[in-house]
Amino acid sequence: MLEVRGLSKAFGGKPALKDVSFRLEKGEIYGLLGHNGAGKSTSLGIILGMVAPDRGEVEIGGVSVQKHRGRALAKVGAIFEAPAFYDYMSGWENLKILMGYSGGFDAMAAEEVIARVGLEKRIGSKVRTYSHGMRQRLALAQALLPEPELLLLDEPTDGLDPEGIKWFRDFILGLRQEKGMTVLFNSHLLAEVELMCDRVAILREGQRVFEGSVKDFRDELPVYEVELEPWDYVQTWIRQAGGEVLGRGKISLPVAMDPAVAVEGLVKAGVKVRNFAKVRRSLEDVYMEILNGKGSPN
Amino acid sequence: MVFTQQLRGELRKLFARPRTWMGYGAFVVMEAVILAVYKLESSQRHMRGLVERNGLEFSTYYSSLTITFTIMLLSMFLLGSIYFALVAGDIVAKENEDGNLRMVFARPISRLRLLAVKYTAVCLYTFSFVFFVGVSGYAMAVGAVGWEGGLFVMEPKMKVFAAYPDWWEGAGRLALSAVGIGISMITLSSIAFMFSCFKIKPAAATIITLTILFVDMILQGFPFFKPYESYFVTWRMSAWVFLMEQHISWPKIVESYALLIGLNASLFTIGWLAFQTRDFKT
Repeated sequence: MLEVRGLSKAFGGKPALKDVSFRLEKGEIYGLLGHNGAGKSTSLGIILGMVAPDRGEVEIGGVSVQKHRGRALAKVGAIFEAPAFYDYMSGWENLKILMGYSGGFDAMAAEEVIARVGLEKRIGSKVRTYSHGMRQRLALAQALLPEPELLLLDEPTDGLDPEGIKWFRDFILGLRQEKGMTVLFNSHLLAEVELMCDRVAILREGQRVFEGSVKDFRDELPVYEVELEPWDYVQTWIRQAGGEVLGRGKISLPVAMDPAVAVEGLVKAGVKVRNFAKVRRSLEDVYMEILNGKGSPN
Repeated sequence: MVFTQQLRGELRKLFARPRTWMGYGAFVVMEAVILAVYKLESSQRHMRGLVERNGLEFSTYYSSLTITFTIMLLSMFLLGSIYFALVAGDIVAKENEDGNLRMVFARPISRLRLLAVKYTAVCLYTFSFVFFVGVSGYAMAVGAVGWEGGLFVMEPKMKVFAAYPDWWEGAGRLALSAVGIGISMITLSSIAFMFSCFKIKPAAATIITLTILFVDMILQGFPFFKPYESYFVTWRMSAWVFLMEQHISWPKIVESYALLIGLNASLFTIGWLAFQTRDFKT
């Protein structure tokens, strides 16, 4: 559905993206994670044709955004953090104007979408009187009106209250289930990513440093609490096996290494194994470790 | 069809802004001020002298048509230039500053089409505003001095002098001049529009436009530049006054307007090129 190939972009000589690639299959919810300035928004800008890449290309449904932007974006909806509407106009007028840029406004379809996002009572009010949550609902309505097959979400739940976040999440998951919509979810709210996304990619300083399923993400750099003796020998053994000593009694092993094989190897080497237990870590811990450079780039 | 819908949306945005209506209000106030000045004894004495020195009858030319002509001349120069530069300078730059453009760019519309829609809206707005000033100025003048009388025109800078004792002829010339002013003012709007496409603040687009035009006008007034006055944009923009001449010199007018239209096209193209090559962050 969406294919991003070898994107590179620099602003004023400072690289913002370095050879970033990823691919979204139809019906997939894909999370793009990273700190501020990691390149998430630049990626989204290139996908929407708002930013010209120095190298690389984006295809939506097999159509190049860089070559045929209009055709490529025909079935795309996007929601930005703090969406900027024409505040001095009503929600309805905003939808009418924005849909004019998508080729036409269908009042019946608009009414249906407005009811769906729960904005029917306030759609005639000026947008300046809307709360942040209502603005996000209007943003959702404008994104859904062109009946998109691909939805691009840039930090959509930022600033929403927990109830609003849950409503938004359920809504997006419902869309995927009902219409098989593909979603690119750009966020730094890890709990949301975990609950919504099938796969994630992590960007660090413009480079993709991780891509995989949320389960892979958790399993990246598995950490074990251990009681092994002699400790000096164990440290050497772990390092030689490609793992890492994180502190006294705490190690990580390469993803590919079965811990049972590691234990067997240690025992064969004469190490006394009193405890070897996998530590259940939060997604945030793994995310921070990857961003801090301990994860294996893939 | 789609273009018309987009244009309607653009015009709706323009006219939904309270600032737009404040502009209309400001012009009406200005017209009322000009009218009040016209009603002063000293102004009437001055005009009587001017008309009678040319062997004409004051009572024929102290009329709603003559007052409307003065209103259009003064209000376009004093307030129109600022107002059109403000509106055209805002049309792209303000939307970028407010973040509205990123919502638009999430749509499958090309940048050229978007600018074409916005530029057409600016042109229509400029043109309709000139007619509003003309019609409202005339309505107020009729209220003040009645509808009868001819049209007296005297514009020393462009060396135009004309008198139309017949109402119909005078009204026709006034309507024709409104068309001319409208086209001339589009050049001002085009300059502001071009700057609006650049990566600058909306206020900067307005200020740069006004600076260019005022510098152009001041330089044009220097005796040294007198032989070259036709090279100045503001001189070309004043070509509408020639539509008031007793015998209209069409080649002179067509030459000026062809140059202005060419300039407008160039300004649009430069603005589009700048806009096309810009990156817009989400």
